[in-house]
Order: sequence, then structure tokens, then C-alpha cells
Amino acid sequence: MEFMYNAFNLLLDAGATVLLPVIITIVGLIFGLKLSRAFRSGLTVGIGFAGILLIIDMMKENLGPAAQAMVKNFGIKLDIIDVGWGSIAAVTWASPIIAILIFAILATNIIMLLLKATDTLDVDIWNYHHMAIVGIMVYFVTENVILGILATVVMAIVTFKLSDWTAPLVEDFFGIPGVSLPTMSALSSVIIAAPLNWLLDRIPGINKINFDIKDVQKYLGFFGEPAVIGLILGGAIGILAKYPISDILGLGVSMAAVMVLIPKMTSLFMEGLMPISEAAQNFMQTRFKGRNFLIGLDAAVVVGNEQVITTSLIIIPLTIAMASILPGNRVLPFADLAVVTFRVAMVVAIARGNIFKSIVMGLVAMAAVLLAGTATAPVLTELAASVGVNIGDGLITSFAATSLTVSYLVYKTFISNLVISIPILIIILIGVWVFMKKLSEKRTQILASQQSDK
Amino acid sequence: MKKVLVACGNGIATSTVVASKIKDRLADEGIQATITQCKLLEVPSKAEDYDLVVTTGNYVGKISTPIVGAISLLTGIGQEEIFEKILSYLK
Repeated sequence: MEFMYNAFNLLLDAGATVLLPVIITIVGLIFGLKLSRAFRSGLTVGIGFAGILLIIDMMKENLGPAAQAMVKNFGIKLDIIDVGWGSIAAVTWASPIIAILIFAILATNIIMLLLKATDTLDVDIWNYHHMAIVGIMVYFVTENVILGILATVVMAIVTFKLSDWTAPLVEDFFGIPGVSLPTMSALSSVIIAAPLNWLLDRIPGINKINFDIKDVQKYLGFFGEPAVIGLILGGAIGILAKYPISDILGLGVSMAAVMVLIPKMTSLFMEGLMPISEAAQNFMQTRFKGRNFLIGLDAAVVVGNEQVITTSLIIIPLTIAMASILPGNRVLPFADLAVVTFRVAMVVAIARGNIFKSIVMGLVAMAAVLLAGTATAPVLTELAASVGVNIGDGLITSFAATSLTVSYLVYKTFISNLVISIPILIIILIGVWVFMKKLSEKRTQILASQQSDK
Repeated sequence: MKKVLVACGNGIATSTVVASKIKDRLADEGIQATITQCKLLEVPSKAEDYDLVVTTGNYVGKISTPIVGAISLLTGIGQEEIFEKILSYLK
């Protein structure tokens, strides 16, 4: 027993780069991978983590001081640096309770499928980090493992239900049937866009506006290239920091490098986790044979839509502008400007491609991301520092984790006075569930009557 | 050697799955090709250097390089058809 305890402490002391391969190897073994394959998975993920640490160090040395100088020179108080969802996902996978949370999410999916409470089969282990991070943050704040697990389970339930409910949109608007998108980075905007869309449709005058913007991709296309965003933003921050011209150029190129390198490091995570995802998929598909599923896929499959790209290219520069004037915001948008497409994909689908509504609702959704990012940055920064991810004195955030509206609300619920917040959460969940059930029955009826008309 | 560009939303998740499936299949068929991953938004600026673009969704950009949509490789439904299509460009 003492040996086990000592071994465990040795691993904890060695830090996340050592702990991570061990945890992933164990998770792989539980899913039935061979030891050699499980270990290779674990090692690959560990390498990805080491890579992320390198990039974060680069940001710490370059962007950190420049952002602080910018704050001092101009009073633009954007002192919380967006280090990108990949960095935060790395922090998530490095948590000591990640293995428990992965199985809690999978178990939630299995139970809901058995009870026919969801149609979404979600073995996209890769995207489990969106649900896990909320539990990890709750655990970090409350030091209560049970609360952490519960928070993640609630995230899972909400994720699967939002996936079910948005599956018709995915089929009708994006033309991909039989699939749902349990990716919270895309789903979260729905809870803002759906009511807002209803409202906009009822304002006389506003509900008539629609325009088609030609050539957005031709003229704003460069905003879609991470290297160019990094170069421009790095240069602009250098200018605001009143750096000499050589340092401005240097910062521009360094930040272009960060934008290009973060996804490369993050893809090692994906590579390492893929065999585990495949094992989980085989396990689930043999268990639930003959049942009609919505197969849960990464929202990456819908962001190639032309209106989504157009809307994102307009929203990216507007988000940077909004960050500097939005009251209460301290987030400096940076690394995650590259994945704005995910935040607006479902917004565009809800607006049925109406560019005007997509931009308005997309901006509101992005404002919510910036404000939740500001509110949760202190805890997130502390959590990240505990596994070795830190950029010196400054605070960090991303457009993912608890910056996402749904994740923020669930996190807030679990760190508030539970006697009050949990009943409210349950009432809202049940209320929305019943409402959506009625809506989907109506849809089925309409579809049925259309069928009989033909 | 032929060059394939595999693109998805962030150039990380689904493109890694698709790229590795294509890689395995090409190895089985004995076809040599280099496979590069990128974000969908980068496709217009990169596509012309490649012989084939494979995307994990419905991409409707205007590029001269042939495009194959490979969502089937993610869901596993209709996988063989898509493989045949991809191979036809690389043989």
C-alpha cells in the first residue's frame, strides 16, 4: 500500500508531462487496447502536452510583456490573454481526475441511450474535454470530487440533448442526415441564438433585413488564415506597446508562429486519443446493434459551409474591435480567433443563412464568450498553473472551457449556494426538455402532413 | 508523388481521423502519397499545390483542385465508395 502511495506521489511530483502518458495508457487499457498501443497513445499525448508548454513559454516571453505595455500606455485593459482552446484542453487532459470524468461521460451516454433519453451516440472522446473541464474547475474550487463529477454529468446531459435538438438543423441546413454534433464549442451559442432569432423575427422592419455580401472571402479571406491573424495582431500589439520597429516585426512573426504551432501540438493529442475513440466506438456499436442513432461527430464537419465562413470572416475583426469597447471585458482575443467558425456555425443554421441575423446573433454570442472568459479567468489561470501552464503574472483564458455560455452557467450553478442553484437548474432543464419535446412532435406532424400532401 | 490535402474545421480533429484512414488505405494499396492537414479556411490559399483536396464536411469553395467530401470515413457508412473515389484520383 505504501509502495502504491509513494509511486503515486512520485508521478504527481514529476508533473503533468509524466502523469499524462500514465493516465492515458490506463484509460487505453480499460478500453481494451493492447499495452503497446495504449502506451504509444499515452506517450503521444504527453508529447503534445510538452509541445503546448513550449508554445505557452513563447507567448509568455513575447506576448505577455507586450500586452502589459499596451495596458500601461493606452489604458486598454485587455490583460487576459486568449491562449487558445488547445492549451486549455491540454490542461483538462492533465487533470488527475480526468480518467473518472471520461468514464462518467461515457456512462451517462450509455444510460441515456438505454433509457431512450437521447439518440446521440457520442464516442468522440476527443471532445469530452468540453464537458470534463467544467467538472475539473468545480473540483478545483470546491475540492469536492463528487460535485466535480456531477457537474460533468450535467454538462454531458445538456450536450447530448442540445445535440438531439439541433440534429434537424444539421440535416436541413447543412444537409448531413443521421448525425448530431456533441461539440459544446458549437452548441453553446444555440442557447443565445435560438431565443434571439425568435425575437428578431418579431421586430417589424428588422425581420425584413437580409443582404448578400459578395466577395467577402476574396477581400477578408486573410482573416481565415491563422498565420496572418497572428502577424497582424502581433504587429498591432507591438505598435500599441510602443516597441521599436524591429521588435514590432519580431512580435508579429512570433505570434504568427504561435497561431500555426498551437494546432500542430494539439493534433498530437488527437492522434494519441484516436485509438481510444475507435475502441469506444467498436464497444458501443456492438452493444447497441440495430438501434437508430444519431452518430455524434465533431462540429468540424459543418464549418465549411459558405455562409458560416462568410459570417466568421466578418465577425473575427468585429470581435477584436468589440473586445476593446465591451464594458467589463478584459480578454485579449488571440489564439481562438482561428476557431470563431465553430462559435457561429449553429447561429448561421438557426438564422437559416440570413447574414444580417447571423452577424447580430454571432456578435452577441461572442460578447457572452468574452464576458464569461473574463469572469472565470482567475480560477482557470490558477488551475492551468497547477499543471505547469502559465504565462507569468498575467491571466489566461480561451474561447472554450467556461468561456462558453452553457459551460459557464453549469460551472456557476455548482459553485454557488447549491440549495438554491440546483433546484433552479433542474427546473430549467425539465422546462426546456418538455418544451423541445412539444416542438419536435409538432415538427414530426408537419413533416407527416407534408408527406401525405405529396 | 501525389499530394493530398485533408481539411476540416480546425485542421486537428476530424482531419486527423480521415488522414490516418487514407494513409492506412494507401499503404494497403501500395500507393505513395504525402498527406497534409489544414483548416478549411486555408483551403483556397493552399489547394493549388495539391492533386486532391479531401474535406470532412460539405465544402463549396471555388478551387480548381478536385474535392472529395469524406464524412463517410467518420461515420463508417458508405466508406468504401469514398475510398474508391479518393483512390481514383491518386492512381
